[in-house]
Amino acid sequence: MTINSTSLAGIPPVAGPTAELVLRPTRVLRLPRSPKVIAGLVILGVFGVLAIIGRWIAPYSPNATDQQNWVRHVLVPGTGAGTGFPASYYPLPLPPSAAHWLGTTVFAQDVSSQLLAATQATMFVGLLAAAIATVLSVLFGVTAGYLGGGTDEGLSLVANVFLAIPGLPLLIVLADYMPSAGSSVLLVAAIIAVTTWAYTSRTLRAQTLSLRNRDFVEAARVSGESRVRIILVEVLPNLIPIVAASFLFTALSAMGAYVAIAFLGLAGSPTSSPPGLWNWGEMLREGFANNAVRGGWWWWWAPPGICIALLGTGLALLNFGIDEFINPRLRAAGLSRRTAKKAGISLRSTLGMTPVAHRRAVAIMPQVTAMRPEPSSVRNAAEPVLTIRGLSVDYGYGDQAVHAVVDCDLVLRRGKVLGLAGESGSGKTTLALAAIRLLRAPAVITGGEVLFHSKPISGEEPAGTIDMLSATEEQLRAIRWSEIAVVLQSSLNALNPVITIGAQFDDLLRGLARAGEVLGMVGMNAERLRSHAHELSGGMRQRAMIAMAIALEPQVMILDEPTTALDVVTQREILEELIGLRDRIGFATLFITHDLSLLVELADEIAVMYAGRLMERAPATSLFHAPRLPYTYGLLHCFPPLHGARLAMEGLKGSPPDLRDLPSGCAFHPRCAWAMPRCHQDVPTLAPLDGSAREVACWLHRGEANVPAELARPDPLPSGSGRSGSIARVGEP
Amino acid sequence: MKLGAAQTPTASTPVIPVLEGRELTKSFWVKQGRGLLAGKARVHAVESVSIRLDPGRVTALVGESGAGKTTVGRLLAKIIKPDGGEVLLDGRPAPPGRPRAYAAQVQMVFQDPFASLNPVHRVRHHLVRPLQIHHMASGDLEAAVDELLRRVALKPPAHFAAKFPHELSGGQRQRVAIARGLAVRPRVLIADEPVSMLDVSIRLGVLNLLADLRDRENLAILYVTHDIASARYLADTIMVMYAGQLVEAAPSVSLTDRPAHPYTQLLLAAAPDPDRAERPALAAHGAPPSLLAPPSGCRFHPRCPYVMEICKRQVPPSVAVASDHSAACWLHVDPNERRVNETGLPATTTARDLLDQRN
Ligand SMILES: Nc1ncnc2c1ncn2[C@@H]1O[C@H](COP(=O)(O)OP(=O)(O)OP(=O)(O)O)[C@@H](O)[C@H]1O
Ligand SMILES: Nc1ncnc2c1ncn2[C@@H]1O[C@H](COP(=O)(O)OP(=O)(O)OP(=O)(O)O)[C@@H](O)[C@H]1O
Ligand code: SF4
Ligand code: SF4
Ligand SMILES: [Mg+2]
Ligand SMILES: [Mg+2]
Repeated sequence: MTINSTSLAGIPPVAGPTAELVLRPTRVLRLPRSPKVIAGLVILGVFGVLAIIGRWIAPYSPNATDQQNWVRHVLVPGTGAGTGFPASYYPLPLPPSAAHWLGTTVFAQDVSSQLLAATQATMFVGLLAAAIATVLSVLFGVTAGYLGGGTDEGLSLVANVFLAIPGLPLLIVLADYMPSAGSSVLLVAAIIAVTTWAYTSRTLRAQTLSLRNRDFVEAARVSGESRVRIILVEVLPNLIPIVAASFLFTALSAMGAYVAIAFLGLAGSPTSSPPGLWNWGEMLREGFANNAVRGGWWWWWAPPGICIALLGTGLALLNFGIDEFINPRLRAAGLSRRTAKKAGISLRSTLGMTPVAHRRAVAIMPQVTAMRPEPSSVRNAAEPVLTIRGLSVDYGYGDQAVHAVVDCDLVLRRGKVLGLAGESGSGKTTLALAAIRLLRAPAVITGGEVLFHSKPISGEEPAGTIDMLSATEEQLRAIRWSEIAVVLQSSLNALNPVITIGAQFDDLLRGLARAGEVLGMVGMNAERLRSHAHELSGGMRQRAMIAMAIALEPQVMILDEPTTALDVVTQREILEELIGLRDRIGFATLFITHDLSLLVELADEIAVMYAGRLMERAPATSLFHAPRLPYTYGLLHCFPPLHGARLAMEGLKGSPPDLRDLPSGCAFHPRCAWAMPRCHQDVPTLAPLDGSAREVACWLHRGEANVPAELARPDPLPSGSGRSGSIARVGEP
Repeated sequence: MKLGAAQTPTASTPVIPVLEGRELTKSFWVKQGRGLLAGKARVHAVESVSIRLDPGRVTALVGESGAGKTTVGRLLAKIIKPDGGEVLLDGRPAPPGRPRAYAAQVQMVFQDPFASLNPVHRVRHHLVRPLQIHHMASGDLEAAVDELLRRVALKPPAHFAAKFPHELSGGQRQRVAIARGLAVRPRVLIADEPVSMLDVSIRLGVLNLLADLRDRENLAILYVTHDIASARYLADTIMVMYAGQLVEAAPSVSLTDRPAHPYTQLLLAAAPDPDRAERPALAAHGAPPSLLAPPSGCRFHPRCPYVMEICKRQVPPSVAVASDHSAACWLHVDPNERRVNETGLPATTTARDLLDQRN
């Protein structure tokens, strides 16, 4: 090879490093600030800066030979005079020194200068290819997805054809066939781009297809927005995370491909004609071809290798960050693990079980000897099945904890329906699921006691009292489903889509041939056992879920908004069946809903929850006819009546509080019409009202002020069983 | 606020409706089966629905899921084209397509306030765009945005204009969505279940806002909902849909107090009502029919407790049961006429009997 000086002049400097593209300070792409992402950004940033300023800081031209120091004539041992072999010399590279920080090649070229030039070329190819591919994929994918129909079919066909072209082999063949192809970075970048854009295009098309039907796009269309603007302004910004991720990915694979063909000697040698560019692959190739590894000249081959690995890692880390951003569940998982460790809670042992903070594990308690006195609120004769006392649940740990449930008491009784009402986010689901330890981390039970007084209706499960918060996983597994059944809020999607309803019953009943009978109990035909979930309507699926819940004759049934997604008629039918089953099997029911008007018809006792606390608890009829809490009063007046004169109603002012930023004192005070100074400072706790079977957490009823007439209506006579025969509506305010 | 306006404009009222749909019909083609066996099936989503919207009135469209309420709303907003029937604006056939002039008259508010605002744009963007598109604000855009936010009671406006949708509560988002609909000063607002995704405690606020807009700005509003109690509260007229067809229409109080169609009765009986003395016993059971192959005759007949032979064979005509109250049910057709249609089978029940039977 001949050595002459070629400089990198003529190659346009690489525009802004990738990092800048990712860090746009919009909400679109606020990357999680995890160490991984930061490391990725730093790596990319360093390479980006080096690529740009490399030309100016490089001490030598990458091709220049250090004539002074070049050790030209090292005799190959075993040759030359006296050996019988003609003297053979080989060149020796110079190790790192002050003059050459990273030493030299065998041709006495400065490795650090080569490395800088190579960084520029490699990154340039990567970014150029990624830019071309991104433009192509956005153009094709978004247009196809948004326009749909024939355009979509045509464009998708084109994309699929390109998808079938293997990128690297094509590049190798082309470069081999036509040497000038390999040495032209533009051409290399273009070929890589053309063979990779189709992947991203497909993803973007699918995403656009789903965005197109989103309401905000339809709304823009309704307001008369033009197509181009809808695509550019409404749809595209929502795709930025995907575009960014695929940009990084294409950049990475393009650099890989470039390095690969250069290593194979197909990207044109910088010293041949037409000259290729110095890049990491070329450096490695030359090193390997000249025995750099065998000669132990690590300074020659290691730096380009490390650069490839580092840049690859940087891009991968960033990609991971974007993935976390796109998929919040990943983010939550990562965060909770870390913060939990900080707060000193081990999550490992508690997979699938709500962790309990600061508690030692106790086995099944012996038959209860000393039960604590019951809260005075309940005078029901029916015996308690599940006693919840002072339960507190946080999401998150330490400073970041959100107190979703604070100090709640509830008692479920055999054959009774306890209604839990409250606005969205008030903590109803959290309370119910934490009590049976079904919540996953980051939920943590931070205090309280939950006792399950088991008296199995059938089967040989243990009788006696189980402390739910210290029970082991096996103990919990033994009672879940068989003794305590849950119909989850999202249960419409809880059935397994791939196996039949019958097969799911088999799993549950373990061979008991009662599935048909159980389905009959919820008003479904046994025929349905052969159906898959998607063949059933929403109402049917909900019935199937309830059937599974009652199949093992549980003692406690937790129903979390079981009918919210259903039509009123279906809802009514399912409720009728539930009440029938309750009467037959005698389970205790916790019925969670935001629909207070439904609960009044259904429940024996109602507890009202606000911002994580229980605020009022009373027999259903009392609560409806004579609410004591301003919030309950307001909630009851949110439901327009079906009869009588139509009156303007005000409902509740304001909106539900943010648990992260609760008002001081009584959390309801900003919305309360009767708030007093004290309400701004002190948190009221649930306490029995004088002479009644009910409890309320409100300063109005602590003798602080005169109770307003609206909140002092006479309590309808307690009817013992909760629901009274006939109810007359007490006059409207 | 004016609630409970008793009378509805009927055919005799001289007022020309702002927006009218006549005999609107729409079906969708859906894929059935998989792979090579996939065929297309026809969903009869809306059939022969006539509806009128008058200035200063709220018309409610009530029915269970899949009844075709949203489809009617989208037909009226001209987001989709009807297969049959026509849409009249001010008594004249609306121009084909969806020109901007039409968009400036008829606006739509969507059900899900979490989906109907673009998460990447601030509130301001959502309000500024319609203003710009329709050249509404000559000059001072900021003032126009402020004014809009004030109209939907989002104060202080500057504070809300700068927020992203995820920083707002559900009720606030729905207010922004309504403000966007109002930006072009439309005369018709089609609100598709505007409160069903909202918390009960904030629903009334949005309903009252709609009532206010009707009264102050003389807006014609179509209120689509499955909650008949809220329809009674807000609307002047209620129309009930079942399986793609209108089955009953009347002023809201007469409709809820004296429902004439068995389906409306079922809907009312099933609605939660704490005032009821006892849990209601439902007279009818079963699920709504598949719209791929709707039942013959009256589409409600497989569930109807009063079903007669004729119901299975012939589509019931729309009958006036009172001056401004109509129902599509054979029970309200004179038994003699019914007998003529029915070729010989005796009619046993009359409308009066039926109404008396109802508790
Ligand atoms: N995984 C979680 N991480 C952090 N906060 C959470 C998590 N799950 C729920 N929360 C918060 O806890 C609070 C209570 O939620 P919960 O689901 O119990 O409410 P809810 O009363 O059941 O509401 P809804 O009626 O909407 O179901 C809410 O404010 C919610 O934002
Ligand atoms: N774009 C569509 N393609 C195919 N079928 C559709 C389409 N839009 C609606 N349908 C079908 O038309 C019928 C009526 O739908 P529509 O959305 O109008 O009902 P709805 O009364 O608004 O119900 P909901 O209360 O669930 O919103 C349904 O069976 C639905 O599946
Ligand atoms: S404690 Fe005060 S603010 Fe809270 S509900 Fe009672 S009166 Fe209202
Ligand atoms: S027409 Fe017949 S089936 Fe239909 S609602 Fe009337 S009585 Fe029932
Ligand atoms: Mg919940
Ligand atoms: Mg709808």
